[in-house]
Amino acid sequence: MYKLLLCVRYLQTRYLAFICIVSVMLGVATLIVVNAVMSGFSTKLKDRLHGVLSDVVIDTDRPDGFEVRDDKGNSLTPDQIIDRIMKSGAGPQIEAVTPTIEAFAILQFRYRGTVIAKPVRLIGIDPEGRTQVGGFSEYLVRQKDAPRPSFELTPDALQRHAWNVEQFRRENGPNVPAPKVQPLVADPNAIPEPKMEIDRGIEQPKLHGVIVGYTIAHFRYKDESGNLVEEAALKEGDDVIITTAGGQELKPVWGSFYVTDYLKTEMSEYDQSFVYVPLEQLQRIRGMMGRATAFQIKLKNYDRDKESVGKELRGVFKNSPEVRIATWEEHQGPLLAAIDVERGILNLLLFMIVGVAGFSILAIFTMIVSEKYRDIGIMKSLGASSWGVMQIFLGYGLLLGTVGCALGTGLGLWITRNINDIEKKLTAWTGTSLFPRDVYYFKEIPTNIDPATVVLVNVGAVVIAAVFSLLPAWRAARLQPVRALRFE
Amino acid sequence: MLKAENLQKTYRRHAVQVQVLNDLNLEVRTGEFLSIVGASGSGKSTLLHLLGTLDAPDRGRIFLDGKRIDDLPARERDWLRNRTFGYIFQFYHLLPELNMLDNVLMPAYIGHSLLNWWQTRRQWRRRAEELLKKVGLAHRIKHRPRELSGGEMQRTAIARALLMNPRVLLADEPTGNLDVESGGEIVRILRDVNRAEGVTIVMVTHNTEIVSATDRVVRMVNGVVIDDTQPKQPWQQPRLAAV
Repeated sequence: MYKLLLCVRYLQTRYLAFICIVSVMLGVATLIVVNAVMSGFSTKLKDRLHGVLSDVVIDTDRPDGFEVRDDKGNSLTPDQIIDRIMKSGAGPQIEAVTPTIEAFAILQFRYRGTVIAKPVRLIGIDPEGRTQVGGFSEYLVRQKDAPRPSFELTPDALQRHAWNVEQFRRENGPNVPAPKVQPLVADPNAIPEPKMEIDRGIEQPKLHGVIVGYTIAHFRYKDESGNLVEEAALKEGDDVIITTAGGQELKPVWGSFYVTDYLKTEMSEYDQSFVYVPLEQLQRIRGMMGRATAFQIKLKNYDRDKESVGKELRGVFKNSPEVRIATWEEHQGPLLAAIDVERGILNLLLFMIVGVAGFSILAIFTMIVSEKYRDIGIMKSLGASSWGVMQIFLGYGLLLGTVGCALGTGLGLWITRNINDIEKKLTAWTGTSLFPRDVYYFKEIPTNIDPATVVLVNVGAVVIAAVFSLLPAWRAARLQPVRALRFE
Repeated sequence: MLKAENLQKTYRRHAVQVQVLNDLNLEVRTGEFLSIVGASGSGKSTLLHLLGTLDAPDRGRIFLDGKRIDDLPARERDWLRNRTFGYIFQFYHLLPELNMLDNVLMPAYIGHSLLNWWQTRRQWRRRAEELLKKVGLAHRIKHRPRELSGGEMQRTAIARALLMNPRVLLADEPTGNLDVESGGEIVRILRDVNRAEGVTIVMVTHNTEIVSATDRVVRMVNGVVIDDTQPKQPWQQPRLAAV
């Protein structure tokens, strides 16, 4: 009874205890906030890393695509390869498969009278099939979450295109070719450019759409006032030239495309490099004769089937050593591992903050024990045991830790919940942006509160508080009452 | 009742040794009010601490009702200090964080588990209030020690010492820090407790005036008892003597 009474009274009356509580509180709050933000970043990053990749990717380094042959030695088409995959042991676990082509390319377009050229990752897809394997339509700007997105140009895009043509003719005269940029290579000659005779008015060819990464199409800069300005360099209907390598000799080839949509994943790596074009058109430009360089597969239950499907697929492609089969996690392995390592190290460093709080408890408790020297003697003279006295100070440490943890948890959760408002206010006060959105491409600071982490942080902090109060408590227990009482 | 045989106690600090008690023998009878007098350093307080098991002798033995108590396990000595002995110190030694009522109740808090305390709390609280009333502090139960005078604090310490109905009260210079009037009041209270409740009291004091209130006076010099007498004159209130 007296232990509880004295713990509570010491807590109420000692201002030094307040310092201990604040130390623990700040440590716990910091750990909760940093973990929530790190977890938010990590979760969002993982979502996005997974986002543009399907569950399992089968790809080949051969530039002309998969070379899989049947028993008679005939080369299989992508549809036949898909059929073979679906008939394998992995088939029942697979929800959808779609072929794609991936290649590096250079994208050219005009911006304020200047030709801009950017290296990009060119991906040929069937938009409907790509949507079925996931991670595509949810990142489109105009066709967001559309079940059947396409490369078709909208009437507005067509109007913009017509306006572009008209504008060019007005500036350069009617006999000048259409307003499109020229490829970097003057004479590719291996594969002819598709007929784009829109300027001659003989036949309106099909306009091939392209979906470009949002950052490719939008320039960000700061104006004279220092405000961030975003300007669309490529609008829907604007034309671009994409130059890549094709044919058996991998000579430069190119094609004209018209912007029909943007890809906005908020992952700068993707938004500044991914360019999607129709699969058939890319196959034609590169002379791939209907082949694909990758198959994107969506599983019915990724966590359950990823191992078994990988094993089955390796059996399907056992005669094609150049074929790689990897889950999205294996594809992004180093990055995911880096995130986990970063989080682990940060947690270790932050737990040292709680360690510092522990040492402040040790120092303050040692002071309190010295201060309470006489009280300990009084209690022992009244029959308190050494273990009882030790329990008072252990309980006191535990109580300080618990109160500090409770306050720290409250503070940490409050900061996490209002972190974006706090960041805005701090930015307004200091004039320096703490979370530059143009760097992270996140609208808000992402947070994710993991209850298990909150519990772990609290348990850890309480244990540290209790452990660091052990030594002073033991010293208090060893005190001889008569020495404490002899002098005032 | 309480018997010390051949007690020896030496304080050591580095190479320095100070022998405080030297083959001391003393017997305290049941129900008597014994005072121990002597100069500073004569070993009075050390003897009191040994009798009350607050410290252990280097040699010699202490008996309570014929049972040796100086070599008891710590737990049994704790129990003795809680139930059998009551202590009163020169500097009151109240806990500053607690009010008067809680200070008086402290031996009961120490002597009971949480559950046991909860079941008997009303009874203990009533007893504590009675004791505070008896020492004239019924109106001070919610006050903290810093809000009280020296005499009031010492009266609270007496109430605390009496809470568990101890058989022996050990008082170490109970009036040493008080003015004559307050000191006289304390001695009167101790005398009443001794007479009315039959509590054996061993009181260490410098004050030769108040020893007349006791049944027996033991004089110590250099760690040995040199004189063991009964006061010749009946005790009077010191304040009257001062007048």
